[in-house]
Amino acid sequence: MLYKFILTFFLFVFLLRINAQANDFNTINFKKADSIAKVYRGETLHNLPQLSYNLTYSLKTEAEQFRAIYKWVCENIANDYNLYKKNDYKRQRFKNNSVKFKAWNNEFRRQLFHKLLKKKRTICTGYAYLVRELSRLADIECEIVQGFGRVSTTDLDKLDIPNHSWNAVKLNNKWYLCDPTWASGIPNPKSNRFEFKYNDGFFLARPELFAINHFPVDSKWWLLDKDIPTFEAFLASPVLYGNAYKNLNTIITSKVIHHDIKKGDSISFEFELKNIVRKEAIKLLIDSGNNAWERKPTSVTSVNNKFTIKQRFVKTGFYDVHIYIGDDLIATYTVKVKKT
Amino acid sequence: MKLKLKLLRIDTILPIKLFGMVMLLFMTTATVSAQKTSTNERTITGIIIAEGKPVAEANITLQGTKTGVMTGEDGTFTFPKKLKAGDILVFSYLGYETQKVTIMSDTSYIKLEFTVDMIEMIGALDDNTPYKSKRKN
Repeated sequence: MLYKFILTFFLFVFLLRINAQANDFNTINFKKADSIAKVYRGETLHNLPQLSYNLTYSLKTEAEQFRAIYKWVCENIANDYNLYKKNDYKRQRFKNNSVKFKAWNNEFRRQLFHKLLKKKRTICTGYAYLVRELSRLADIECEIVQGFGRVSTTDLDKLDIPNHSWNAVKLNNKWYLCDPTWASGIPNPKSNRFEFKYNDGFFLARPELFAINHFPVDSKWWLLDKDIPTFEAFLASPVLYGNAYKNLNTIITSKVIHHDIKKGDSISFEFELKNIVRKEAIKLLIDSGNNAWERKPTSVTSVNNKFTIKQRFVKTGFYDVHIYIGDDLIATYTVKVKKT
Repeated sequence: MKLKLKLLRIDTILPIKLFGMVMLLFMTTATVSAQKTSTNERTITGIIIAEGKPVAEANITLQGTKTGVMTGEDGTFTFPKKLKAGDILVFSYLGYETQKVTIMSDTSYIKLEFTVDMIEMIGALDDNTPYKSKRKN
């Protein structure tokens, strides 16, 4: 009888673990973790062990504990645009002089930690660093991933040295990716000043989607089994926006930004969405360089959460095609339409 | 009848004796253990340095608790709670690698040297501005 009970119990625990891995964290409600992060809003960074303890001690699962840490960092640390510009300028200037490059990095590290501690302002590595330190203090395995990040304004000609940092975290023996910097907010397009605007899409993001605009220096952090992009393929990827992480699981086609087609031909894109949306919610903004106009795609078809968007071009020209879901700008492709 | 009575007596006395012995053993062990704890718990003091200088405002925390202390201007500290062998102290300061020290039976003073976290600082911001192709004309 006892033997049977023990066997059933272990079988139950085993199945529960498998189930948790398959569904990942869809079933976990992060409300409690998020409210704890809010309770400690405004805390200083003078006592990291205490901050880590406060954020995690009342949460049972590793995922919730990590969530509270991640959310706190995203909502309390501001991105310093001036620091970013200064560092970007110096790194480009010294990239061919290893002595000066190293000296600048050492000097900048000091400045950055000082600013982080006193003003809670930083750039990417500061975010990734804090997430790692607070996690490690809570006994959660977490790493900083260094690499290349691509956004709509990235100058691809200058993308020859790493420019971005993010995190990999191990929860229930499985590694996941997060980008606390991009999740925290974006610069206001008018004032260029950083504004907090939390984007939940970068939390435990799908590696397939992450790979479109994150290229890790260490290849183990792709977390992909197949289709690992080359650097050339990465540079040729479509432009992906923060809102894509809110709306998409992944882009099925096309993973290349530019397409050459003939007049009268169509181009098609296939996306796997997180949630099923109304077809009418999908819009295009087409920019010919001189004019830009909004329109519904020629056709939108869907099977479950897989959506195929087709657009036919009847005039020659070079077009930037921006894809929207509702008001969220998701991705941009370029199309050159030739006569024949 | 006599035999039965005798047997009964043995049956009753034996458990009482056993219970007494267990209690005695338990009390002795408890006393020994209590004595051991009180003699082994002690105040830990120390200093933290980095790059040859004392580190002020560094954190020292007892792992898994909120109990901790900050170093003074001279980098020294006195841990507020008495510690015993096996306790782990976590030493941390933003920008230096976090270190853990396990208290041994003879630990009373800790001199710890922080090493700089040699991470390369980089950062690109996200941007919601729609992409604009570079056109020749």
